Amino acid sequence: MHRLLLILVFSLFFIAPLQASESGIIVRTAQVYADANIGSQRLDQLPAGTAVSVFSRKGGWKEVFSEEKAIVGWVRAYQVRERTLTQQQTQVETKADQRGFLSGLASLSRKASRFFSTGGSSTSSGTATIGVRGLSEAQIKSAQPNFEEFETMQQFISNDSRLASFRQAGQLSANEVAHLVPQEKTVTQSTKKTPRKK
Amino acid sequence: MSKRLASILVLLAGLSIFANPAIAIDLNKLLDLGDKLVKMSSEVSTEEEVKIGSNLVSGLLGAAPLVKDEKLQRYVNDVGYWIASRSSRPDLPWSFGVIDSDGVNAFAAPGGYVVITLGLYNLLENEAQLAAVLAHEISHVVEKHHLQALNKVLKREFWSGLAVAAVKDDEDREALGMVVNSGVQLYATGLDRDFEYDADLRGVVLSARAGYDPFALLDVLTTIDSISPDAAELTVLLNTHPPTGERLDRLANAMDGRLDYYAGGQSNADRFHQVSAIP
Repeated sequence: MHRLLLILVFSLFFIAPLQASESGIIVRTAQVYADANIGSQRLDQLPAGTAVSVFSRKGGWKEVFSEEKAIVGWVRAYQVRERTLTQQQTQVETKADQRGFLSGLASLSRKASRFFSTGGSSTSSGTATIGVRGLSEAQIKSAQPNFEEFETMQQFISNDSRLASFRQAGQLSANEVAHLVPQEKTVTQSTKKTPRKK
Repeated sequence: MSKRLASILVLLAGLSIFANPAIAIDLNKLLDLGDKLVKMSSEVSTEEEVKIGSNLVSGLLGAAPLVKDEKLQRYVNDVGYWIASRSSRPDLPWSFGVIDSDGVNAFAAPGGYVVITLGLYNLLENEAQLAAVLAHEISHVVEKHHLQALNKVLKREFWSGLAVAAVKDDEDREALGMVVNSGVQLYATGLDRDFEYDADLRGVVLSARAGYDPFALLDVLTTIDSISPDAAELTVLLNTHPPTGERLDRLANAMDGRLDYYAGGQSNADRFHQVSAIP
């Protein structure tokens, strides 16, 4: 009995927060590493579609837990798609959107039902899309300029005084960062250097 | 002069302006326009670049108008203005807009114009992701990718007509409309794919320079990569960009270990959601 109680307490304190951690799905087959670098030990692979919990992030890496594989390790951040939809979402969702459809997180949920397979619990029927409202290829091709709308766009241009408070509120620092050299080119060059087989 | 007239007539005939009797254009006005076209045979000045861009973005706005939400438009302009100020061309008249389209996409036009569709905006999760999208587009502008593309696709005498400054009356307007329309085609065919990879790389650097988490672009691309490629909303984006998986691979390889220091940059999810929430 005591043991049962212990398990219960354990699950309340440890498992509950674990489940509350951000969940995600492996979208591209991911090599799991022991640490957030490719030099570290390779633990296992997670195939696309594996559900994971995302614990933390370091640079371009995410630390994930896969219940299925019973493994904790690091994968490249882009191999995981996180689902960060929380209570905030339901809050926004209840309000109708004056712009025609839902924005921000709310739309993610609505769009998610259309774009992302959420696995089973979907109650709405298929939302077949007939064309795209504004900016389909045909609409771009037949576009005629709207100069009045251009004038409207000009009204919203930002300026240095707005920028000062915007940066301060967002705690945005200016960093000096050099351009990245694409890795592709080095690879191509070295491929070219390999002697041709006769 | 006669050679110029002939070439303009050929151009306009090609555009079948004359096939439509409703559009009767005064030949003198055409010549005026032609003078402006031919005048610009050398390097495009910044002023001309801005005019070309304003015409092209007017074309895009003709296909999809701005979302009627001043708070949203100002916010996107603030983020974009800040990112652009960290680029090598901070002095362009940077102007940003969210346009009312379900399509998932963003567009840049020469001279400092960037628009993002509401469809893409709604997929974003925080300010860093918005910054990432804008930084990619800003990079196209900074590197003059669209000007290079126009130069490749259309005869110079023709596309530089986009830089015509004054649209005095309806006839000029009609002719300019034709020219703008031909320029806007670029957004349906897309840029050279190498320009896209280049803008990805430059974009993440700009994000880092502006104090944002540069890895946010990987998040946006991952989101896009998770959407069924059959979705109509993605058609134009996928037709005009390299495969998303390839972009992710190249970007992740190029960034690997180099921008880790900046991964702790701001995401500003709260501010993003405050602006994006329905009033």
